[in-house]
Amino acid sequence: MILSRLRVIWTVFRLHLKQVAVNTFIIFAVIVQPLIVALLAIYLLRDTEGFQAIYVIVGSAMGGLWTGILHSSGYNIQSERWAGTLESIIGSPTQLATVIIGKTLANTAMSISSILFSYPMAAFLFGYRLTIAHPFSFTVSVLLTVLALVSLGLIIAPFMSVNIGGTIWTNMLEMPIYILGGFLFPISLLPGWTTPMSYALAPYWAARALHATSSGGVPIGDVFSSWGLLVGFCVLYWFISAWLFRVLLRQAREEATLGVQ
Amino acid sequence: MDAVIEVRDLKRIYRTKIGVLRRKVKEVLAVDGIDFSVSQGELFGLLGPNGAGKTTTIKMLTTLLTPTAGQARVLGYDVVQEASQIRPRIGFIFGGERGLYWRLSGYDNLVYFANLYHIPPDVRKRRISYLLELVGLEGREDEKVQGYSRGMKQRLHIARVLLHDPQVLFLDEPTMGLDPVGARELREAIRNLQTKEKTILLTTHYMFEADAMCQRIAVIDHGKIVALDTPSGLKRHVQDLSVLEIEMFGIPPEAMERVQALDGVDMLSVEDRDQKQALLVHSNDGSAAVAPVVSTLEGMGLRVGSVVVREPTLEDAYVRLVGGET
Repeated sequence: MILSRLRVIWTVFRLHLKQVAVNTFIIFAVIVQPLIVALLAIYLLRDTEGFQAIYVIVGSAMGGLWTGILHSSGYNIQSERWAGTLESIIGSPTQLATVIIGKTLANTAMSISSILFSYPMAAFLFGYRLTIAHPFSFTVSVLLTVLALVSLGLIIAPFMSVNIGGTIWTNMLEMPIYILGGFLFPISLLPGWTTPMSYALAPYWAARALHATSSGGVPIGDVFSSWGLLVGFCVLYWFISAWLFRVLLRQAREEATLGVQ
Repeated sequence: MDAVIEVRDLKRIYRTKIGVLRRKVKEVLAVDGIDFSVSQGELFGLLGPNGAGKTTTIKMLTTLLTPTAGQARVLGYDVVQEASQIRPRIGFIFGGERGLYWRLSGYDNLVYFANLYHIPPDVRKRRISYLLELVGLEGREDEKVQGYSRGMKQRLHIARVLLHDPQVLFLDEPTMGLDPVGARELREAIRNLQTKEKTILLTTHYMFEADAMCQRIAVIDHGKIVALDTPSGLKRHVQDLSVLEIEMFGIPPEAMERVQALDGVDMLSVEDRDQKQALLVHSNDGSAAVAPVVSTLEGMGLRVGSVVVREPTLEDAYVRLVGGET
């Protein structure tokens, strides 16, 4: 059963990548937008005290990843609904969450590949060298970041099955997570009452780990604790997501929101 | 023979909220306490006008919609409580071109859906090439679906729905929008499925299609089943009638009212035929009705074309059952 599920994820990943590779909106969201953010951020912050190009690059790359994942969780269900394929998925033995994981991973792969090209390009344009302080820990942090963002996306996705006009809500979530997650700016710049919200977000711990392993100057114990909290929150998110999928898909069948005429 | 589909007092109400500040709940009764059963290997038709409740019924039976009341079982499993048991054993198609990934090739679409049904890769490969041949798409499978004609998309849907070799098929207006040749080929393909002992529930609003294909037909109107019988049994509902077909060029409402008021006229309906219309007069004695009907129409200054008296068809039975709606 696990093998069969992995096969579904792989097929969805492969075929979704084929489709999004020619979708101009996706290309803009995951390639052009992060590059613009990186260029603007370097331009604005380069004269500030303690500026590190790698901090800005990593932060805006996380923003790009988050946009891609948010898009997968929200817009993909809507587009399946409008294409008339959502009912075919729900009516099959495969769980919707499995399909969403495959699609989200495809968008993430596209974001990462674009980052590998566009961010060094941005640094090159401004004449900065990009050095990663702890390459191995950084790689682990990147993988855990993908896990954190995908897990958060899995909480958002089931809401789209009951909400036909729900894309507006996913669009509204883009910047708050970007800011509360401390992707590009430290959360110490935010009012104190927002800190608990940041702490409850797995992407915040991902950003902490990424910044610590790329910029350096942070004890490794701090990185380990970020990883641990990140994984802990991800497990919590999976339980919440599984419950939400069950409850909200039942509601979607009651409210007739799986298909549109 | 055991019933594969059992529907008992099934009801579905749609609730929608309207208004911005003072939100009101609007209720639409789509399916109103229907009962029927379909036997193993039977091709059963649900016939009715648009909005009669056909698609809603199929969506409840395919576990995509929860009934408001009543019970439905497919292969012995309850559609609400045991949906996960039903899903691997059934296949469904909703009419029209949607339901496929247009940016992918026909082959990739089939691979995708085969995986959703957990078909092992070696079986999948054999099955896809068999089905491509069955639906006549071999050689076109690597083209993107967006370039397919409507008929090709419908045939791809048929291949998709057969990937996991389901025991029960739900086909919702499968020939909708197809040209006559494409529709005939698809009907032939569906008939072939029935010879393979598949149980098929088909919805349509094409009378001749239901007549030619289905062993039994339930006529559904305003959410209720108004008749359930074999095609010949349904025709017996109108065996006491004959139908007078009068070709005309425009039929004003006053003319309809005056013809309806004549002795022996049971009911009227109008069929559009390109730039002409046909007034169908259902009467106890069609031959006897010719003279008074034609003279009434001509007396109103209307131009009357050919006049034919014929035996009633399934369509006439249907029109009588659903009160003139088509």
